[in-house]
Amino acid sequence: MDKKIFWKRCMSTLAVTVGLTLTLPGAPLLAADKVVKIGNIIPLSGPSATVGEQGKNAREMAVAEINAAGGIASLGGAKLELVYADSESKPEKGVGEAERLINTEKVNVLTGCWNSSVTYPTTAVAERYGVPFLVPVSVADKITEQGFKNVFRIAAKDSWWTRDQFSFIKDMSAEFNTEIKKLAFVYENGDWGQGIAGNWVKLAKAAGYEVVLNEPYPSTTTDLSPVVQKIKRSRPDVLMMVSNAADAILLTNTLAEYRVRLKALISSGGGHADPSFIQAAGKSARYLFDIVEWETDVNKPGAREANEKYKKQYGQNLTGEAVDAYLAMYIIKDALERAASLDPEKIRQALADTQLSDGPGMIVGYDKVVFDEKGQNKEASLVMVQINDIGNGLERITVWPKSARRVGYTPVFPKP
Amino acid sequence: MTGNETLAPLDNSSGSNAGPLSVSGSKVTDQGVNPRKKFETISLAALLLIAFGLPLVMRSPTYLHIVILIYFYAYLTSSWNMVGGFAGVLPLGHSVFIGVGAYTSTILSLQYGISPWIGMLVGGVLSMGIGVLIGLPTFKMRGAYFALATIAFAEGMRVMVENLDFLGPFNLNGPRGLQIPPLNFGFLNFMFKGKEPYYYIILIMLIGVLVLTWIISRSKLGYYLNAGGEEPEAAMALGVNVARAKLIAMAMSSFLTALAGTFYAQFSLFIHPKSIISLDLSFEIAFIALIGGRGSIAGPLLGALLLRPVSDFSRIYFGDVFPGLHLVIFGVILILVMIYQPRGIQEPLTRAYNRFIDRLSKEEQAKEVS
Amino acid sequence: MLYFIEDTINGILMGSIYGLTALGLTIIFGVLKVINFAHGSLLMVGMYVAYWAVALSGVHPYLALVVVIPVMFLFGYLLQDIVIKPIFKAEKDVREPVTVIIVTTGVWYILDNLSLLFFGPQYRSIQDNPLRGKMFELGEMLISVPKLWGCVTALITAAGVYYFFQYTRLGRAIRATSLDRDAASLAGINQYKIYNIAFGIGTAISGIAAITLIPFYNTFPTVGVSFDIKGFIIVVLGGLGSIGGAIVGGIIVGLIESVGPQFMTATWTEAIVYGLFLLVLFVKPSGLFGEKNDW
Repeated sequence: MDKKIFWKRCMSTLAVTVGLTLTLPGAPLLAADKVVKIGNIIPLSGPSATVGEQGKNAREMAVAEINAAGGIASLGGAKLELVYADSESKPEKGVGEAERLINTEKVNVLTGCWNSSVTYPTTAVAERYGVPFLVPVSVADKITEQGFKNVFRIAAKDSWWTRDQFSFIKDMSAEFNTEIKKLAFVYENGDWGQGIAGNWVKLAKAAGYEVVLNEPYPSTTTDLSPVVQKIKRSRPDVLMMVSNAADAILLTNTLAEYRVRLKALISSGGGHADPSFIQAAGKSARYLFDIVEWETDVNKPGAREANEKYKKQYGQNLTGEAVDAYLAMYIIKDALERAASLDPEKIRQALADTQLSDGPGMIVGYDKVVFDEKGQNKEASLVMVQINDIGNGLERITVWPKSARRVGYTPVFPKP
Repeated sequence: MTGNETLAPLDNSSGSNAGPLSVSGSKVTDQGVNPRKKFETISLAALLLIAFGLPLVMRSPTYLHIVILIYFYAYLTSSWNMVGGFAGVLPLGHSVFIGVGAYTSTILSLQYGISPWIGMLVGGVLSMGIGVLIGLPTFKMRGAYFALATIAFAEGMRVMVENLDFLGPFNLNGPRGLQIPPLNFGFLNFMFKGKEPYYYIILIMLIGVLVLTWIISRSKLGYYLNAGGEEPEAAMALGVNVARAKLIAMAMSSFLTALAGTFYAQFSLFIHPKSIISLDLSFEIAFIALIGGRGSIAGPLLGALLLRPVSDFSRIYFGDVFPGLHLVIFGVILILVMIYQPRGIQEPLTRAYNRFIDRLSKEEQAKEVS
Repeated sequence: MLYFIEDTINGILMGSIYGLTALGLTIIFGVLKVINFAHGSLLMVGMYVAYWAVALSGVHPYLALVVVIPVMFLFGYLLQDIVIKPIFKAEKDVREPVTVIIVTTGVWYILDNLSLLFFGPQYRSIQDNPLRGKMFELGEMLISVPKLWGCVTALITAAGVYYFFQYTRLGRAIRATSLDRDAASLAGINQYKIYNIAFGIGTAISGIAAITLIPFYNTFPTVGVSFDIKGFIIVVLGGLGSIGGAIVGGIIVGLIESVGPQFMTATWTEAIVYGLFLLVLFVKPSGLFGEKNDW
């Protein structure tokens, strides 16, 4: 007798299912003006929302410039159109959004996703559908080591970041005649932190440093003084860190409070490069070395102007993440010009053949964008900056490689 | 039917508010062919046909993806419903079972080459054991404590997975998660190029869990659970072993939830402790159940049908302009439904449906008369 | 040994602040019998109110209590009156108001994401406050001054709340309602008004906790989430509804977090906290200081 109740419920629900699926509108594709759709999967809400916002701003600035300059000439002046999807920093959301952007929004190119844990599975979707995927920043090595044809990365990868951090230590130690023996590693317990710390351990062993502390911490932590005490007691010469924004601020402040004496603090971008980091950490951040893709004082034509324009529009300095997103739009433009077609395979081929060395996008520290056979930008390089106050408030000053060092600045090393 | 007899007074005590699971006799008006029955049989057949034929019409993988996720959540919520709905407690850590299922089948297939279908069952059994283990001490507790205990258990498990690269010989890969390389497609490997096979698998799983729920709701176990949820003391006084009934429900629920974990792992080919054993996921399951109407058969399905598209589409349309707005909308719907329909949206829908059927049968009667 | 003492002191200081963040939760549970899942978000709202009050006026952070307490009390009062009360009324006959738990979760989603919409995702901290970065030297040991202030505030608040519930008319009326709703309403106590007030008090305490945090912590939209789960653990350890229990539970968590990392990596202390929590749940579900077996 309950059968009916059951059946009727089944039916009412199925009726809703059907009704719903039938009313789902296919996004109407108005082919009035020719546009090239760029799908961007970035964290707009959730824990990495600050980074997502920077990436969005930078993309918008670049696309506005490109469109104002006449769009894509070889496609009859086609305009670029940005479509965003919020990943909330969750891999499964990123994957779902990639499906949607490819199938429903019919995007021609994808970019994103900053969180390596999102980018990794999401690029697999793009590969399956044969849609070119340009990764501005997601540093995990494995992203370009999946054997995918459609994935290209602008930023340097994990192993280059760590490699350069160690070269930096060696160079500084020689330049300032300071002996560095003991290292301490402190990092957020995630995909990113674990990946970088794994490389550090190998590099330290190869270079003969003693690792006195290798400590992950939960990135949602509310108190880092126990970790800071551990750092203090292990007496390292150099502390190396990987942090997201909230914990980067907390860690830096707590280190200052406990007066931990170190010869140098070296961080790995991310939270330490967040625009609110300097504001929120204040004086405690002084003398910190941070490795980044890009800095406002980079000696490249157009960089200062781009930064000023960005600052005027969005109230913050450009960051490495933002610049890579900005450059990504120009790389796409360049590839589209050469492809002269919206055929995904042609775009992919054009991206693979990229030899970009000029134009407004090239405000990065290196001279050329060239992808290797795995899709990694071969030329990507990194700079080391020091946070210091030389009369204009705290700022980030490029110090390494020596050729890129800001003229007239002498790095403070070891930390007083 | 005997069980029905003894528990009849209990059932009456829940009065007119009795949920759809209540066993009050349906008002069958014996008049030959029941028009309601006829109508329902036909429309059910039609709907099944549509559900099974949907992928033939809906060619867009995006929408198919969305529908698959709707079914997936409906399945999860229906599994949750066995404990959270019928047993009258509020488990808020069900993602731990999803995690157990996903990790078990993935590790078995990655490290030992065992088909995920077998891993699915192994994960289910393992998860069932864990479910009973959690249930034994916690079912003594009341509402708030039970909810907190399940949260803590799930969070504790997530922390464990994030801290362990290896669990004995099994490679958990810590916070980095596990990726399943998309190489060996085929049914045995539970891996397909297109979305359609996934669609049919989850559809069949969903139908299975709905049928199972229906069977349980008609069984002694269902009566016991319902009685234990509404009036535990009275039920116990009548000799109903409420704790045992709850444990059985928990075992089934954790088993079924783990199966969905394997499905998810094979569908997304990537599992990650932060997203798969997450509070967000556990909460979402509970939200869907409560909004749909917990303790009813159709509630979870209705809830998933309403909430999933709302959250997907609001994220799609507002995500870039107003970051976070989609979650605000989600929260507002949750609160509004809870204020105005505390028994979930299944209740007004059921009423509307009944009115519709009544009118239909009256018309038919009128026809017969004339 | 010195290290151990130093860590213990930090654990007690930080722990009592955790206890303070959980105090509002335990009071709301004690009276309404509802776990307020939005309590982390209330702390977040409190931190924004405190942040803006201090940042705009430039006063000592603790002076902002004058603004934060009434604003947060009103916020909590209205939140309960407008959003949660209707559910209570609808669920009057239900023994276990689980629906309310879900509604508070909805409130959590709404508040966190509204603050993201209004204030943006930036991390904010007050640079020029007299407590920032201050350390107190005790021999070779360093003790954080803002945490010391926080600890003292937590103890004073807990004592004040205890006094309020034991010795004032309103406090007793609230307790009477929490013990027996029906009897209280027979005695002419307006049950729902009592709930509003209790929710207001709980929220105001979150505001006080927010004040203790802002001298050394950042304000951002999801700041409450980190304190959310911690709060649940603390109140269960101490006993749901117990004021002293919240502080003691907080100190236990603080000690594990502070002393534990000397023996293992910081990530494992999290697991220990959950383990202890489950142990207490299974062995003595009423918590260390739970007064009655209302579970």
